[in-house]
Amino acid sequence: MGIINTSRIKSPWIMHFDNSSCNGCDIEVLACLTPLYDVERFGIVNMGNPKHADVLVVTGPVNRRTARVLKNLYAQIPDPKMVIAVGTCACSGGVFHNCYNILGGVDKVIPVDVYVPGCAVKPEAIIDGVVLALQKLSKALGVAK
Amino acid sequence: MIENIKEVKKDELLAEVKKFADAKARFVTAVCNDLGDKLEVTYFFNMSPGMEMHGLRMTVGKDEEVPSTTGIFLTTVLIENEMKEMFGLKVKDIAIDFGGHMLLAQDSPVTPMLKTGAAGGKGGE
Amino acid sequence: MAPRTVAPFGPQHPVLPEPIQLKITYEDEKVVDVVPAIGYGHRGIEKACELNEYPKNIYLCERICGICSCIHGISYCEVVERLWPIDVPPRAKYLRTIWSEMSRTHSHLLWLGLLADAFGFESMFMQFWRIREKVLDLLEMTTGQRVTQSISVVGGVRRDIDDEQKKKCIEVLREVRKESEALINVLANDYTVKARTVGKGVLTKEQAIALGCTGPHLRASGVKEDCRMQGLQAYGDLGFEPIVEKDGDCYARTLVRCRELLQAIDLQLEAFSKMPEGEIAVRPKGNPPANEAVYRAEQPRGEVFYYAKGNGTRNLERLRVRTPTYANIPSLLVMLPGCELPDVPVIVLSIDPCISCTER
Repeated sequence: MGIINTSRIKSPWIMHFDNSSCNGCDIEVLACLTPLYDVERFGIVNMGNPKHADVLVVTGPVNRRTARVLKNLYAQIPDPKMVIAVGTCACSGGVFHNCYNILGGVDKVIPVDVYVPGCAVKPEAIIDGVVLALQKLSKALGVAK
Repeated sequence: MIENIKEVKKDELLAEVKKFADAKARFVTAVCNDLGDKLEVTYFFNMSPGMEMHGLRMTVGKDEEVPSTTGIFLTTVLIENEMKEMFGLKVKDIAIDFGGHMLLAQDSPVTPMLKTGAAGGKGGE
Repeated sequence: MAPRTVAPFGPQHPVLPEPIQLKITYEDEKVVDVVPAIGYGHRGIEKACELNEYPKNIYLCERICGICSCIHGISYCEVVERLWPIDVPPRAKYLRTIWSEMSRTHSHLLWLGLLADAFGFESMFMQFWRIREKVLDLLEMTTGQRVTQSISVVGGVRRDIDDEQKKKCIEVLREVRKESEALINVLANDYTVKARTVGKGVLTKEQAIALGCTGPHLRASGVKEDCRMQGLQAYGDLGFEPIVEKDGDCYARTLVRCRELLQAIDLQLEAFSKMPEGEIAVRPKGNPPANEAVYRAEQPRGEVFYYAKGNGTRNLERLRVRTPTYANIPSLLVMLPGCELPDVPVIVLSIDPCISCTER
């Protein structure tokens, strides 16, 4: 498993899911992929299919309807997997945490590894969050980074 | 104050809406208000082309049935479904009826926009 | 008859960053029926706005949507100002206009990028988003935030633009205009782009009005209607003329947005040159009186409708927001049946859907 684990750390594939966020964090996640921030130079590739992904990037608070979708997506990602909650809403529910249709942060539904606060999160912080997740993953897999 | 609002009775609603449809007006939206024991519904239309807006306002009891305007303007389908699930406004014969679960999920609170509705907290505290 | 298949489009789909589900029924490659299932983005902001005090609602309203958040914040302040009514100082009006147009510039660049991505023109997507970063830098410099600016308060604006920032803004905007023109030239004349957009998702003038479409979607069908025509804020002083196309297909919608992008930059430059000196805010006295008001503003996606009802306390009795996508979604029910399955993403994107706006 040496080479597979090494490449997992060197080139993680991320999948982005928007719960019921305001879009602010989503466009910043997308901005990470574009020329100014360009995370692809670190080998990070954005995926549309959960079965290909290593890292799940979740934005926005969980509402009563997306909770099921989020659980489903999480179950489809193969192990080992990492979950990054991007934005204050995804961390705790943010300004919406008490609204009637909101359950709260992402950790109410699935386990979260890295929290990235901010409203809206800056792309630099998102990249930092992914790096932190990879350090955690390499420790768990016993691979030197 | 909002200009150009006309009070109508429940039975006259469809005929009045039809007048706007014949005048090639554009439906803007409807607003539902909880007045305590009654519901107040205001339909807004834009006289196209131009930016002049007109309104039709009706006041109905909470258990009265209201005719659907989707037969005249298909676009009212979303707002009528929303008023139905948020305020419990009894709209009959909507073209596409989401059955009270267009925006709300199965386990969401029922008719949360009513003043008496126990609808969670303020958010952000 | 070919067998019918039902495919769910979303709620998690690479083309849409946002959760909406379209249940598409198709025969072979032809779409027969579409049922939108929404509710994945519903939070309950209208109720939260009734329970919170009126100055706090600015932050909630800005978070209805992150892309058009600036104009949401401004529209909320305008509708609450109409309850008293409060007159905003002229400089604040100009500043609001400048930030509105700046957010329109960034939103249209974002949309043009996403459109290019929807038909697989990846390098065009990257180019548009590269230019967009310059506009975001201007927003960050003048307001302090890239996405949710929170620049407007009831009675005026929170910050002023000083001369140094103004100089920088004008310089960068001219640069952005030049670079966008070059890209738009490619987008509007490219053979492959035309093959994917011309004649797709056609909506006639009559249909567009009957379905209550708004914004660039309506103007692409030949209806000259734009909330900026009301002459509110500083638009009355600026030489504003709505942009209209006739064909009503995806290509016409693209052209409208391309031309609006350049127009938005011109409006900003004109507003900078005409901006008067003076106060930037007045303090509102007391609470919003028992009154009701409506306000309509032109967002990048179309007309936003704000209705507010006060009751004399610090809380509002009712706030209703009708966002542009809410009005544009019914047109999908007419445009999608009969199209080819691969055209679905392009047609859906051509209304510039903003789901978090729609469901609040």
